[in-house]
Amino acid sequence: MAFVNPVPKLYRSVIEDVIEGVRDLFAEEGIEEQVLKDLKQLWETKVLQSKATEDFFRNSVHSPVFTLQLPNSLHQTLQSSTASLVIPAGRPLPSFTTAELGTSSSSASFTLSGYPIHVPAGVTLQTASGHLYKVNVPIMVTQTSGRASILHPIQQVFQQLGQPPIIQTSVPQLNPCSLHATTEKSQRIETVLQQPTILHSGTVDRKHLENATSDILAPPANEREIMSEALLSQPESSQYISLPGVVFPPQVSQTDSQVEPVLSVSGSMTQNLNGRPFSTSQQGAQHRHMSDTQLHVLKNRMFGCDSIKQQRNTEEPSNLPVSEKDSNSQMDLSIQVTDDINEIIQIDGTGDASSNDEIGSTRDVDENEFLGIIDAGDLKVLEEEADSISNEDSTANSSDNEDPQIDIVEEDPLNSGDDVSEQDVPDLFDTDNVIVCQYDKIHRSKNKWKFYLKDGVMCFGGRDYVFAKAIGDAEW
Amino acid sequence: MDAASDVALDILITNVACVFRTRCHLKLRKIALEGANVIYKRDVGKVLMKLRKPRITATIWSSGKIICTEKQVKKKLNLVPDLARSLQELGFRVIFTDFKVVNILAVCNMPFEIRLPEFTKNNRPHASYEPELHPAVCYPTKSLRAALQVFQQGVSQ
Repeated sequence: MAFVNPVPKLYRSVIEDVIEGVRDLFAEEGIEEQVLKDLKQLWETKVLQSKATEDFFRNSVHSPVFTLQLPNSLHQTLQSSTASLVIPAGRPLPSFTTAELGTSSSSASFTLSGYPIHVPAGVTLQTASGHLYKVNVPIMVTQTSGRASILHPIQQVFQQLGQPPIIQTSVPQLNPCSLHATTEKSQRIETVLQQPTILHSGTVDRKHLENATSDILAPPANEREIMSEALLSQPESSQYISLPGVVFPPQVSQTDSQVEPVLSVSGSMTQNLNGRPFSTSQQGAQHRHMSDTQLHVLKNRMFGCDSIKQQRNTEEPSNLPVSEKDSNSQMDLSIQVTDDINEIIQIDGTGDASSNDEIGSTRDVDENEFLGIIDAGDLKVLEEEADSISNEDSTANSSDNEDPQIDIVEEDPLNSGDDVSEQDVPDLFDTDNVIVCQYDKIHRSKNKWKFYLKDGVMCFGGRDYVFAKAIGDAEW
Repeated sequence: MDAASDVALDILITNVACVFRTRCHLKLRKIALEGANVIYKRDVGKVLMKLRKPRITATIWSSGKIICTEKQVKKKLNLVPDLARSLQELGFRVIFTDFKVVNILAVCNMPFEIRLPEFTKNNRPHASYEPELHPAVCYPTKSLRAALQVFQQGVSQ
């Protein structure tokens, strides 16, 4: 049921086209090729981080990629100009290849494939989908192979930084992880997420886990297994428990310093059909949160960061195996998506004056032209651009409606701010959902609006979509 | 005119059209981009601003002249200054001047039916009735400076 997501390809093609286009210019200016490479890398990582699209990575769609960044700064993982590590995981054979080595000493990139991966302490991981993990303790990321009936608890490493947006609660996705669909009776149907488990070496966790698991054991009457893991690096850290079907936000206890990351693991494990016990301990980690009960497939897992937002639906099946709620299916799901649960990281929008790349992805796209680079956060720039373009266009074709006039349509989450008496709400444009497109026709009857749009890019719920045609109805 | 003056009638004001001036040049584009609930009609050169709270539809020209129609339900609240204030919010140095009510549309319901052909005959010079054009009798009264439209059902506007 995974739709082919055209967005990453589109973005990738855009990036490549642009890079090729400016290559000559750069050469003329006397800028090194390396700069161009850095630019490209930066761009890619930024797009990745923005989570505007899933599975952005060019390497293999199926392999989750981990980006390791050696510790230097706490949170500036991929924001730094140095190349970041890309670790494609999921290969059966662990191999270690170095993708790019950053020049700076602060970060280096390694490509890791296969499992298990031992991650030393103080490393920041970034998966292919852009989830960031900061590991302060030595962890081992293992891949659960469904076939081996090994369940992988999904863990999440948080580091609550001063800037919440940077933290992601998403769980790394591993393609090779196979999911076992829950049994028919699964009450909760949700996407099954399989994540490589990041084992925390803290012994305290085990205790918590045990407690958690015991709690978890109670509810599932069926053979679901609920896995929740809360790994705490510190005893004081809060613990996360994933309850079946209940999205539990792991509480990230924030220590004073950012040094201590909170490892929150929410395990939503796919259910083992056979009800085999979850052998998380296979990982060899001391704490294995995995309960021996069945997995519980959770659709939405919330991770308890305050900044974490829980998204309900998997809108876009990513190229990575998307977990689906298949309570009745017996098949193994290859991959799941955690993106919905992840917090939306607005990397490009926040305070970024320069135009950024944001390309929408569409679900029902046939083909879309590249509309341009749009900065979601900077609507004014967009408006001006659009308006200037539209002015030019309109002067050229005054009566031609069909003309590609770039227009901005915004969807208000609040449906306008008319409630404020006496004043118009000025932050009408601070919406999260933006559409930049061309219009064919916009029609209004009294307070009923009809929109016939084309060739658009939208940022909706943090995700990007592109469309060739869009029809909308609205009531004002 | 057979206005039923015996019976106390309720006249409901349905629409009020008024004009006022802002005494300053307005940048329509800016209003269109930044204002809320605006429709920019570039071909005509005006901006329509619709408000919900006081049901106002304002037509704004760049010269600063604003025509607004207010659809009032019951209150006689005049919330046109709000419109000027919203313009002020956008950064224009608006001065609220020359407020003039141009038109008021009111509906008056009569409890009886009116036979239009007879009515027209009786009020020859004034009433004009073209059934093919419009189902109402048009009756402009000079004294009140109003034009009445009398419908058969007894609704007159």
